[in-house]
Amino acid sequence: MRKIGIDQLDDMARGAGILGTGGGGDPYVGKLLAREAIRRHGPVTLYDIAEVPADATVVPISGMGAPTVLLEKLPAGTEELAALRALEAVLGRKATHIVPIEVGGVNSMIPIAAAAQAGLPLVDGDAMGRAFPEAQMVLPTLIGVSNTPMALADDKGNTLVVDAISNHWAERLGRAACVQMGCQVSCADTVLRGDQLADGLVPATLTLAEDLGRAVRLARAAHADPVAAATSVLGGVKLFAGKVVDVERRTTGGFARGKALLAGAGSFELSFQNEHLLARRDGGIVATTPDLICVLDTDTGEPVTTEAMRYGLRVTVIGVPCDPRWTSPAGLELAGPRYFGYDCDYRPLPLA
Amino acid sequence: MKAGVDVGPTNTDAALLGHADAILSTVKVASVPGDPVASVTAALGRLGAPPLAQVAVGLRGAASAVDDRRGLYKVAVLRIGGHEAQAVRPLFGWPEDLLRAVCAGTAIVDGGGGLDREDWTPLDTVAVARFAAGVAGRAQAVAITGLFSPLDAEQELEAADIVRAELGELPVALSADLGSLGLIERENATVLDAALSGFATDVAARLAAALSPVTAVHVTRGDGTLMSLEHLARHPGLSLGSGPASMLRGAGVLTGLEDAVVADVGARRVRVGALAGGFPEEAPGGARIGGVPVGLRIPELIRVPRPFEPAELAEAVDRMQPGADRLPLVVVGGGERAVPGGLHPAHGTAAGAIGAATSPVGGQYERVVRLPDRSDLPAALEAVIEEARASAVRAGADPRHVRILEAADTPLAYLPGPFVRLRARAAGPPAQL
Repeated sequence: MRKIGIDQLDDMARGAGILGTGGGGDPYVGKLLAREAIRRHGPVTLYDIAEVPADATVVPISGMGAPTVLLEKLPAGTEELAALRALEAVLGRKATHIVPIEVGGVNSMIPIAAAAQAGLPLVDGDAMGRAFPEAQMVLPTLIGVSNTPMALADDKGNTLVVDAISNHWAERLGRAACVQMGCQVSCADTVLRGDQLADGLVPATLTLAEDLGRAVRLARAAHADPVAAATSVLGGVKLFAGKVVDVERRTTGGFARGKALLAGAGSFELSFQNEHLLARRDGGIVATTPDLICVLDTDTGEPVTTEAMRYGLRVTVIGVPCDPRWTSPAGLELAGPRYFGYDCDYRPLPLA
Repeated sequence: MKAGVDVGPTNTDAALLGHADAILSTVKVASVPGDPVASVTAALGRLGAPPLAQVAVGLRGAASAVDDRRGLYKVAVLRIGGHEAQAVRPLFGWPEDLLRAVCAGTAIVDGGGGLDREDWTPLDTVAVARFAAGVAGRAQAVAITGLFSPLDAEQELEAADIVRAELGELPVALSADLGSLGLIERENATVLDAALSGFATDVAARLAAALSPVTAVHVTRGDGTLMSLEHLARHPGLSLGSGPASMLRGAGVLTGLEDAVVADVGARRVRVGALAGGFPEEAPGGARIGGVPVGLRIPELIRVPRPFEPAELAEAVDRMQPGADRLPLVVVGGGERAVPGGLHPAHGTAAGAIGAATSPVGGQYERVVRLPDRSDLPAALEAVIEEARASAVRAGADPRHVRILEAADTPLAYLPGPFVRLRARAAGPPAQL
């Protein structure tokens, strides 16, 4: 057990941005919210998974919708609690712990703000170990945990509880409601019992985000290589370093799809939707989802989001092995390259 | 004939241009410290020019006013956003001394909108009036930022009317004129814009008094295009980055290059920037001024203090190289001889003045729209292009000759629909008097 105070947030947010693999939303606004919540309510207690009682009611809190909207419509801080209360009313019991559903991007910070406001402890882990775009893409789906009841709350005070026949259906209904509710909502869903955490979460990912952010910061301060520092903390492999020479975007079936071409020692192609999902070096596939494809600014080690990919950026691409449960047949069916519409199979990362 | 002037911290350059932008002469005079208008008139006096049809000026005063916390107006900061905009208060994260220099009070009132029409709530006009009355006597300017105002600026305009009714005529900066979605950055830009009102109104009035009515006077803005003095007085923040933008434009004009890395060698430091498509490459992820993130378009620059090791400058130049294909390096500025390599165009010591004199007047517009039917995109983009064109004309462009520099659509991540961000930039020659 330890405390998360304001001083930990900068490093944690920087690391969470890198774990967002190009998506997940810039943690910046989330960090401001978490800082404000901690300032008002005090530090948040963070427990390891092993410290959580077997009968605990652990509730993931997150935001769903467009990060661009989040940057304009800053949450009031009340939506997360509204979602939590709506969920508790349906469950008939109170949450005992809060946990992030997604450590990559802004959803690493929102549960910290929520935990501070709710006066509840936080669990050190998350249900993805990265960022994914859809609500069913979580480890709990693999162990048969339903993501409903799913409570959504908007800034106007509306709440909605979705009950669905499958986790895919909950995503479909929740996403449609999210658009109606102003394209940015707070969610409480995918409730876990304490004894399900070991199977349903990637452990210690908030600590990983903090370690990662700190390593990048210290490397920069020491004029060392921040990208190498990040690669080392993540146990990743450097796939390419070069400059973005072309970016192509199009929209298919409502989802933004893009490609970025990099030039350096050879050529490198990144395929992205909301996150970076596929990487080819000199025509051959070197990394695929669900492994993490992290694109970092070569000079600063800051993550480069898919929306910010543009001609001229100097980036280094690193591949990081995902949690091994994602590469099971069921895991790949949920979040492998074919689910995202790419005509190829998962390929493990090259050895470092 | 027309002239360009570039007011630097040490020297002021002026250039006289004739038919087809032929460079007739250039001069360099010592800048009058803290007085850009006196620097301009001194340089033009030295140029000994006949009556000029047009003068364009690259200014560095706005950025130094912010950096030095000097001559800034006290700003009343109003956010229209209701309870959903409470979590991060206005001016959050500003350095203490800048905050003290600028802030005359803040308030958040009900109102503001969303992506959809139904998401809008009415403006709390009573609260706006109450806030205005409360800052009377303290505020020299007002900054108004409405939630989602880049989609619809109506409530900002309504609030401005109330503020003026309460406080009389004073500068009121509206965020919809300055930035795109991203409340904090846009609000910060709006506050700086309002804080610079005194500086800009003074410069505009004195430049007009010195040169008008015979001469059409324009000022370079951070994106490398020009704006009229009236536009400068209304939107002072747009002049941030004016000097470096003039220099980058000039380096392009003198070499005929649309894409290049440019080193501007000054007395105390070298500024390295890049030209993309003839205009300054902008800072990615938004600019920071006075330690504050602002949603303004200003050139991305790496500063290397003099004296420098050759390796230091080479690294800065390399970092500004946009692609694997090496772009040529253009070396300009008063100290250009200190850098041996690269292209050294004739009149390069007056690149900023020439850049100002030859730039078009610009405008831009951006909005987010929902396009369930992809075939509606051309019409939606055409509407945005028209707004960009109108924006250029408001800034002083000749409506008959405005052309579109860029029109782009980017889908927003994580939303079906799809929602698309549309953006267009337009520019044209200055309208003649």
